Amino acid sequence: MKDKVLAAPTDLDPLAAQSPRLENALSRRINADPESVERGLVQLVLTIVELLRQLMERQALRRIDIGSLSEEQIERLGKTFMELDRRMQELRDEFGLDEEDLNLDLGPLGRLL
Amino acid sequence: MIQLVAITDDQSAPAPPLRAVACDGLTAICAPVDEAPTDAESLWRHEELVESLMETRDLLPVRFGTLLPDDDAVAHAVRERVGQLAGQLERVRGAIEIAVRIRDRASSPLSGRGVTSGTDYMRLQAERVRSAQAIHDELSALARDSTILPGPELMRAAYLVDRCDVDELVACVRRLQGANADLDLICTGPWPPYSFAEAERS
Repeated sequence: MKDKVLAAPTDLDPLAAQSPRLENALSRRINADPESVERGLVQLVLTIVELLRQLMERQALRRIDIGSLSEEQIERLGKTFMELDRRMQELRDEFGLDEEDLNLDLGPLGRLL
Repeated sequence: MIQLVAITDDQSAPAPPLRAVACDGLTAICAPVDEAPTDAESLWRHEELVESLMETRDLLPVRFGTLLPDDDAVAHAVRERVGQLAGQLERVRGAIEIAVRIRDRASSPLSGRGVTSGTDYMRLQAERVRSAQAIHDELSALARDSTILPGPELMRAAYLVDRCDVDELVACVRRLQGANADLDLICTGPWPPYSFAEAERS
């Protein structure tokens, strides 16, 4: 696989951490022990929150671009997104999830995020 | 059982165990399989097969795990949408796919920079999005077609690039990497034109 990398920063393993994901993607079995059920539920909830966060953030950037927000509103929104970003990171760490886990494969519709 | 590997209009015979099934001017390249493959190893094998075929042919890669019972079923499946497939093949002729992922160099790009004001956060967020978009625009100009793919990175994009323009695109990625020290640009390929061979896009 290494030889497929045409350009990347030298101090980086660009394909690290992709292999377990591949195994997960190919395995359709559901692991139903109590711990993974909880993790799965958290994963689903965080995915929805992440979707909303991204949509709201994009919308906010658009509104800033067209100048329809006051300085005070921008400051407040920015603070909110920053706090949400920080909390999401904490929750991801706590449940051992990474950014790629907060996504859903919707089959023929593609991926959620 | 037969696994479909690629659709092409190249007439040359593939190396065994691959076989060519001709149908209405197109050729479906197939591999015999005993059972539905589900492990990562067979996925890589499939990828290697498509890539070796791609070296000498223009082709549409077939999604991994596409199984049909026999040659007749293959011919029928291709014949049903032969016009569409031929059109897609024309679209990717002479080109391959290059993938580029753009990531933040720092793990938490905004909070890590000691940003405390909400206004600064929004400004930096907008800058990140703009830099990624600017990179994408510049690379798109060198490509025949491009598409933004879903992913957790700042941006994940695929470019359909004429075979003779690949070096130029890679050189452009290197230059853009030099100009964007706070981002990581990861460029991989050449890949079969997966992102430009979807039925929906025709």
